[in-house]
Amino acid sequence: MERDELLSKMTDAVINGLPADAGELARRGLRLGLEPTDIIDRGFVPGIRRAGELWESGDYFLPELVSSAEAMKAAMAVLQPEIEKSGSRNEGRSLARVVIGTVEGDIHDIGKNLVAALLSANGFEVHDLGANVSPERFLDKALEVDADFIGLSTLLTTTMLSQRRFLERLKETGHRSRFKVLVGGAPVTGQWAADIGADGFAENAVAAVGLCRKLLGERP
Amino acid sequence: MSVLIVIKPSGTKIRVREKTLLSDALNKAGLSPGLYCQGRGVCGKCAVEILEGKLPNYASGEKELLGRLGLSDRHRLACRHVAESDLCLRIPESALPGRISVVEFGPEVALPFEPTVKKYAVSAARSEDDVSETDNLFRRLGAASLRVPLDVLRKGPAVRKRSGDLLTAVVAEERDLIDIEPGDTTGRVFGLAFDVGTTTLAAAAVDLATGRVLSRNACLNGQTAYGADVISRINLVLEKPGRAETLRKAVLSDLAGLAETVMSSAGIAGTEVYAAGIAGNTVMSHLLLGLPVESLAVAPFASTFTSLPVLSPSEAGLRFLHPEAPVYIAPNIRSFIGGDTSAGLVASGFVRLKGPALYIDLGTNGEIVLKSGRDFAATSTAAGPAFEGMNISCGMLARTGAICRVEPEGDAFRYLTVDDAPARGLCGTGLIDMAALSLERGLMAPTGAIATAKKTLPLIRGLSLNQKDIRELQLAVGALRTGMRMMLDAHGLRSRELKAIFVAGAFGSRLSIDNSVALGLLPDIPASRFRFLGNASLSGAVALLLSVPARRAIEETARAVRHLSLASQPGFQDVYISSLKFKKWS
Repeated sequence: MERDELLSKMTDAVINGLPADAGELARRGLRLGLEPTDIIDRGFVPGIRRAGELWESGDYFLPELVSSAEAMKAAMAVLQPEIEKSGSRNEGRSLARVVIGTVEGDIHDIGKNLVAALLSANGFEVHDLGANVSPERFLDKALEVDADFIGLSTLLTTTMLSQRRFLERLKETGHRSRFKVLVGGAPVTGQWAADIGADGFAENAVAAVGLCRKLLGERP
Repeated sequence: MSVLIVIKPSGTKIRVREKTLLSDALNKAGLSPGLYCQGRGVCGKCAVEILEGKLPNYASGEKELLGRLGLSDRHRLACRHVAESDLCLRIPESALPGRISVVEFGPEVALPFEPTVKKYAVSAARSEDDVSETDNLFRRLGAASLRVPLDVLRKGPAVRKRSGDLLTAVVAEERDLIDIEPGDTTGRVFGLAFDVGTTTLAAAAVDLATGRVLSRNACLNGQTAYGADVISRINLVLEKPGRAETLRKAVLSDLAGLAETVMSSAGIAGTEVYAAGIAGNTVMSHLLLGLPVESLAVAPFASTFTSLPVLSPSEAGLRFLHPEAPVYIAPNIRSFIGGDTSAGLVASGFVRLKGPALYIDLGTNGEIVLKSGRDFAATSTAAGPAFEGMNISCGMLARTGAICRVEPEGDAFRYLTVDDAPARGLCGTGLIDMAALSLERGLMAPTGAIATAKKTLPLIRGLSLNQKDIRELQLAVGALRTGMRMMLDAHGLRSRELKAIFVAGAFGSRLSIDNSVALGLLPDIPASRFRFLGNASLSGAVALLLSVPARRAIEETARAVRHLSLASQPGFQDVYISSLKFKKWS
């Protein structure tokens, strides 16, 4: 009973975006002898999923979503070291690796940061390259960490072309089939993603998580 | 093969070639559908109802978008479909052309009256001695020397022949003799001031002899048919360099039309207009002058010019002016802080305030200037088009029939529209009122979540705000608030210490201070410290003509203002996210 109540409190702490509570609840769970992976899967993950649903229904906006992601991060900061210590499921812990950044010529990175935070809160290993990232840097990093996904963000219609340029570069260097390339940002549409031959497009951070899951063949 | 398109409700008929894009056909009919997303099929503002004729299949994503906007299954996006056969379609009420309301000037500010161009009546008699024609004239004008165009010298004898005792010399800045005229015409010396905004253009005819503004008018910037914001206009040029000329011609033809209107209501001819002043944002002034905008499109967003020398009418494309009229362009401050701001800062008297004080221009791009003692800094913030009603489902510009004020009346609302015409949409000030009232009545949470069962905020029949509309408003308010907060933080100031806030922009005095404060758009300081400037850019363009000292001050101001880049400030994202909630400043 106490266990279930604790797990549901964890879920609530993420839904309500309370990082301090989330961290504390994670520690309490460990003290009670719960498996860290159980705490994540049954306590915190349902919370971040619920926050995503509330976003999709329009009840949540960016501040709520960011707080939920921060609560998730606080919990993970407590739990991750424990998982690594025990070695349990250490390898399989991350869903997939994502290299993400704002394309060359653009410095707007709030949208990209949100996508990175949400992916990370949902168990992806995220390598955020920041803003104004050249095609070479994207590719080098993706090769270095053996990424599954490369995410290209842009806010300006003028810099959308950098997304196309990256895909062309990927083809030229013969690495196209190695990565799934996802594009996003205010001016980007599904049509544009199809036109430039990207593997996917998501309207917002929550949709980006769903898209990555779908492409991995997981429950969205 | 051509097809016939009938456009309701006006019944306008237009014949176009088969496979013409519907939005192009509407443009051709003079009923610009407003391609705010530049025809990418994502804004929905060009949706038309197909009343008769073949209903095309949905384009990708179109059905979802139209559904979200609450439109019927007979609606289609004009930017996505071509005319395959004869069609009868209906455009929405809010897309009908309407008069742009003329934005008022702010309170008069005393600027030293020293017009750029003056006329002097002098004796037309020839000199007794062998002094040259020009030296004779200079002597009579009491000037040592003036620059004189050869054309003026050539017509000297003819002018003297037609003059009685007097002839009139037209002198610009006590330096250039720009014309001589027979007789005494000193009472007829005029200038034209232009505000070149992204969405609207405004013009004023000014009497340079008395300093009075004789007439003014405004119209939609024809470039909006090609894209709503500055970035989409730049993008057009990037895609196809020839488009720069298309955009330039569009705005020049609108300016010529506006000039004609204000000149005719003031009863003056183009040849009597001896000076022009132009203030506009950086991208608008670049496009107007046909200067490269490519570098403004990508980081670090550098402009081609900040300050320009005096131009001639032919260089500026304003051929309706006197051919020797000086054309002054208000200098830009930095990439996205343009001449509209530098000119407005001086014309409004803001530059003379001790401060601490804020100057804000509410528009798609919100400019914020802080003056604190000798510190003078500016920033710009991307508010998006919500204040102009463009990404709002029932939104529209402040044109005829736009709901511009909403006030409580019992449990319901009462509203005012532009020109008192039947309501057809909601403009920015109406949107702010609606949101503030909904917040006050608990119909909307401070997070912006709509609390009604249907998740809409109905205003009148057929007009309501949905959740996405509110989110767009939050982004706009949040961007402005972030800019102000970071500007104050960077100077170690608190909002309560502000002695004055000058509010420029198309909102004018229709903006409710109380409601803006309730949403957090404006800091919570006493209402007496706010001053509405109306179209400060146009006032600034007038100042370029009426006051040489003010024009120098505008040049100096543009150089003196420091630029603060928001995105590079630590904590930018946190401030932005926390500014997205509707709440008063603390």
